[in-house]
Amino acid sequence: MSGQPVIPDDPLAGIDADARATFTAVAGHLIPAAYGMPSAGDVVGDARLAFVLRSRPDLREPLIAALRLGMGDDPAERVAALDRDEPANHAALIQVVVFAYYTDRGVRDLLDYPGQVAKQLYSWKVPDFIEEGLTDQVLARGPVWRDPATGRRAVVR
Amino acid sequence: MAPEPADVLIVGAGASGGVVALRLARAGFRVVCLEQGDWHDRAEYRGAELDWELTMRKQWSTSPNVRGLPEDYPLDETAAAVSPLMFNGVGGSMLIFAGAWPRMLPSDFRVRSLDGIADDWPLTYDELLPFYERSDRDIGVSGMGGDPAYPPGGEDPPLPPLPLGPGGLKVARAHTKLGWHWWPEPNAILSAPYDGRRACVQRGTCQQGCNEGAKASTDLTHWPKAIGLGARLITGARVRRIETNTAGLATGATWLDRDGHEHFEAAKVVVLAANAIGSTRLLLLSGGPAHPDGLANTSGLVGKRLMMHPFANVGGLFDEDLESWQGQFGCSIESFEFYETDERRGFVRGAKWGLAPTFGPINAALPSRAGTQVWGADHHLHVRAHLGRGANWGLFGEDLPDEANRVVLSQTLTDSSGIAAPEVHYQVSENSRRMLDFHIEKATQSLVEAGAYKVEVDRLMRYSGWHLLGTARMGDDPRTSVLDRWNRTHDVANLYVVDGSSFVTSAGVNPTSSICALALRAADHMVETRFDQQVPV
Repeated sequence: MSGQPVIPDDPLAGIDADARATFTAVAGHLIPAAYGMPSAGDVVGDARLAFVLRSRPDLREPLIAALRLGMGDDPAERVAALDRDEPANHAALIQVVVFAYYTDRGVRDLLDYPGQVAKQLYSWKVPDFIEEGLTDQVLARGPVWRDPATGRRAVVR
Repeated sequence: MAPEPADVLIVGAGASGGVVALRLARAGFRVVCLEQGDWHDRAEYRGAELDWELTMRKQWSTSPNVRGLPEDYPLDETAAAVSPLMFNGVGGSMLIFAGAWPRMLPSDFRVRSLDGIADDWPLTYDELLPFYERSDRDIGVSGMGGDPAYPPGGEDPPLPPLPLGPGGLKVARAHTKLGWHWWPEPNAILSAPYDGRRACVQRGTCQQGCNEGAKASTDLTHWPKAIGLGARLITGARVRRIETNTAGLATGATWLDRDGHEHFEAAKVVVLAANAIGSTRLLLLSGGPAHPDGLANTSGLVGKRLMMHPFANVGGLFDEDLESWQGQFGCSIESFEFYETDERRGFVRGAKWGLAPTFGPINAALPSRAGTQVWGADHHLHVRAHLGRGANWGLFGEDLPDEANRVVLSQTLTDSSGIAAPEVHYQVSENSRRMLDFHIEKATQSLVEAGAYKVEVDRLMRYSGWHLLGTARMGDDPRTSVLDRWNRTHDVANLYVVDGSSFVTSAGVNPTSSICALALRAADHMVETRFDQQVPV
């Protein structure tokens, strides 16, 4: 498509080591290891983060803003402050964490989610609902439409 | 020597523009179309790619304000309770529509007579029926005839229905127990190969473009044929005004190319097909000394009576895997059980329900439209509960016309060409709120009967303005309508508006099927009256 934000050669440009460490801490806070699933802090490496920012370059600047120094070391406090005071930056941070985590193949495998796969249709087969007689029962109840001539539910003879 | 004017100039290459172009090209008309967007190749669509759920929230958003592409125009929706959604390109908003293809019902054309509110249409269901059937053949509709929500008779859809899927089957069984109507939803999505196009593969990503070309859009179904018959489609062409002569006839359109250079396309007849916001905007932009309130606006109704179908989503969660990220989107089943007026409910008119898939893990993980977000260890439980285990009823309530709901030109906001953007004023009526409350309660009952252990409601979704209707209503009286019964403006004898602007009332169904049928009917009339058509000298 035309008119998309410019994609820098290095999507991680501007995300220095401190910001990267902050991202890992926030990701692990939002999505920690539990119930057999890994932590987002462990799953999301540079390659995954770069994939997200290459797909969504519009998120890069608000993400950098959300990871800036001076908001303290506590990821919970950072997330809460962003949610309260900087909703656009908060939304970008949340999205990047979620996008990166749930596009990881290992995470998808654990969820038994194969992606949006192509499945062949067999439209010549008689559908289950016909076999079960479900539409027969709908038909047996008669018309549902309102006849403009009478203003009442239609009667079909 | 000036080039010969087009027989017909169409503005907008979406649903209605494509339908009119093909019909007129088949009749030998010299057709030119100006489209501000581009052609899109199926390979661009992200449904089969890993970044599908990322790009659907930006580059492939249904909101032009979110996409912000140069070919889009911004909308000032500060005063709108619902955000209008659309797409600018060949195929128009069909590229990003779900594909549900129900028809209006007979009572929808007689709202004033039956319920004492709004207005009657100047035509009936029976008059439109043959055009629905012809349009269905051009589009390639999958469905099942005999639906008792409609009068008997007529043709069945050309293709068998798409699958119900595990969730659809569950809810269909529940409606059988409840004694409520349900039926396989008709969809403009192929259940089998048709007209050189491939069948649906159930990927469930219809609203971000169909990778298979199974979902109909006029860039696939109409434009290649129309162009093959000689129609000329110019993309990257942003129309800034419709020009008129001293006799009050349209003479063509002034438009800007991608580099900002101005052109004039002369035509004998002009057809606006730019949706109920875009066409209205053009009429308002085309004012002049002879018509200071905008073109074709002696009724004062251009831009007024905007209807967008207040929408609620009612989602059931089940304790088994339904693989509900797959399936046509589109709908699997529909219900018209509570569509018709029953005044004991405390409101008039009703809503159609359509059961839809539930997206992938990112949709399950991000905050819901209702604002629910779960982080920390329980996030994993939340995602597992939602991913693939849902069934969503989408409720489209009939939106009654209200002149306060309107499109005007912004005094401050412009598009990238400096042309005034539309300013949308839209509030949801008390009747609509009561209607949605009632239908949410009934849809909840439906899902619980189907076995849902929890039901979640997104009430009055903001980003649900898919259906843009009513801003240049048709009618027989020029004092109370903009268009006549053939979609021609009362004021300008060679100017038509063939998109959803013409709707008198909104009905409570997805409108693209009706928009295409009405456009085909208007085009037939243009062909039949071609020798009586007034044209500029």
